[in-house]
Amino acid sequence: MKNLLKKELSELLNKQMLLGLLVSFVLILMLGFVMTSTMTGTLEASGEVHIIDLDQTDFTKQLVTALEEKGYTVKIISDTQPYENILSQQNWNDAAVLPEGMTDLLLNQHQACQIDSVTALKTTSAMSLAFAEDTSAEYVKSAINSLLSEIYLTDDLAFLEKPVSSISYTVANGKSVQANSASLVSSLSVFDQFMPLVLFLLIILTSQTIITAVAAEKTDKTLETLLASPVPRSVIIGAKMLAALITALIYALVYGAGFLAAMLSNVNRASQSLDIGEAFTTLINTQDAVKTLGLQISFSGWIGVIFQLLLTIGIALTASMILGGLVEDTKGSQTASIPILVCTMFPYILSMISDIRSMGAVRYLLYCIPFTHTFIATSCLRFHDMGLFFGGMIYQIIFLIGMAFFALKLYQSDILFTHRFANRKEKN
Amino acid sequence: MNYALDVQHIAKSYGQKQAVRDVSFQIQEGEIFGLMGMNGAGKTTILRMLATLLRPDSGDALIAGNSIVKNPEKVRADISYLPDEAGAYKTMTGKKYLKFIAGLYFKEEKDQKECVALGEEICGLGDALKQKINTYSRGMTRKLVLARTVMTKPKLAILDEPTSGLDVLNSLDIRKTIRKCAEEYGTAFLLSSHHMQEVSSTAHRGAIMKDGQFLAEGTPEELLKQYQAETLEEAFEKAVRSS
Repeated sequence: MKNLLKKELSELLNKQMLLGLLVSFVLILMLGFVMTSTMTGTLEASGEVHIIDLDQTDFTKQLVTALEEKGYTVKIISDTQPYENILSQQNWNDAAVLPEGMTDLLLNQHQACQIDSVTALKTTSAMSLAFAEDTSAEYVKSAINSLLSEIYLTDDLAFLEKPVSSISYTVANGKSVQANSASLVSSLSVFDQFMPLVLFLLIILTSQTIITAVAAEKTDKTLETLLASPVPRSVIIGAKMLAALITALIYALVYGAGFLAAMLSNVNRASQSLDIGEAFTTLINTQDAVKTLGLQISFSGWIGVIFQLLLTIGIALTASMILGGLVEDTKGSQTASIPILVCTMFPYILSMISDIRSMGAVRYLLYCIPFTHTFIATSCLRFHDMGLFFGGMIYQIIFLIGMAFFALKLYQSDILFTHRFANRKEKN
Repeated sequence: MNYALDVQHIAKSYGQKQAVRDVSFQIQEGEIFGLMGMNGAGKTTILRMLATLLRPDSGDALIAGNSIVKNPEKVRADISYLPDEAGAYKTMTGKKYLKFIAGLYFKEEKDQKECVALGEEICGLGDALKQKINTYSRGMTRKLVLARTVMTKPKLAILDEPTSGLDVLNSLDIRKTIRKCAEEYGTAFLLSSHHMQEVSSTAHRGAIMKDGQFLAEGTPEELLKQYQAETLEEAFEKAVRSS
């Protein structure tokens, strides 16, 4: 039993597996660090309350004091510039606007008032927006309610049931529009979350298929037969990559269709619970708001996104051919795909939970991963970051050419059989 | 003289280890040449260099007049390589595999059909060719891959341990096929083997290798005479132990 267990463990816990495990551990640690710092930044930002005070009365000052007593950091200005200018100048993600005459309405006329809740839309990541949307307005509304409860302790006034409501404004691309940012994001996310998912599946499936196929050919020694045949090596590599791409596309289409059907059925179910007229009006308003803010992607923009998607798949396929060529057998193929998996997982997860473009220095590290540019492509186009979009595309083209050149060299070299990288000696 | 293979001072190292040291030899059309040596002697490295899978560190070899260093693409059209313990695509049927290989060597459908027909005849697997390769025994697979190696009528067929792991009858069949193809199609054969019997019964000439070098080269009779031995096995032992 002891002998058998020892033998089984020595086969399973080999050097390649342990190296792969170590690399995974380091990368997951890094991912955890990036995610933690992102979440911490978001939570820190959520402890801030931004107020544009156009009323400037003793009551609004009292409001600020009440918020500060609750532990919030209140940043307040009195500025009548358009919201987009104020948020941009102050580098705020949101703000609550106290309109002129608010105090008079609440304290003298005993009427409910409306405040504006402004949210800066910088990403179409629903999860990221969930932390930032309408935060200041909600805190302000809560504080106003508390103050009024103290002032009208014994009075039974009708307006006290809902003394303050808010109107949502969304700011993006230097424009603002009266619209709820969550509605805007949900209308865009059908595409912006669907595309990365399909891309993620494509990369993982194609890379695993290629690496396993090449490793199997090495184990069966059919690769040697192919490479000694009169067919050009570029054709052998190309055929393998194309076959993997077609297989992966079939997988992606099936998975994608299932995912899309599930999302559409959710939308359908949600719309059934609304009044049809109301749902239609909401849809039209949202589409108008998307247009006004310049968040829509043109036809040529989508062509660019698809081009980036193809570049990314090309890079994944070429990298897989290289990794497959470097592994010695099918056992090695299991760990060989880890670099591709991690390089895909990092930008995919981070693009889902945060806005990579507004991250600190970490974003430059992420930009080095060519796949990142495709995951943020729609975001770049929606928020008019054309420099990053085209820069990423050019980087991907250069990266692909470099990888293809390296792959061809590898398949024309001895390394494929000698595994000099692995420091192994040749069987004679 | 126009050789099917003319090896000129080839050498190959893996890091510090010299796998092949300054080896030269020639093979004529229709001739069978056997490389004999222990594990690690450098046989597979020579075969892989000639199959254009490895590049020599120095020296060159001409196959049907083309250099393996300067014109590996042209060389590949004239050779066929059978690696040691080579498999075939298991999900294919035997016939489909032969068709696939024929497609790599010939563009015209007529040529491909002729090639496959020859492959079918050489392997002698009959109706079993309609079955998937994963149902084949080791001997059947070896016969199939040998057939695909010679059915293209290459100028030089390079075979690494062609009968390794096979039973006596299957080994005999393989040897007969090699001799038949050399005689009928003029294919030159370079094969490596641990089995002296295989070389003495199949090859016209051979070489004994140790540490990447040729210790002796000649016909089986010449080798026996050189080492005053009765069998090639004895000659091999004397050559290796005395070096």
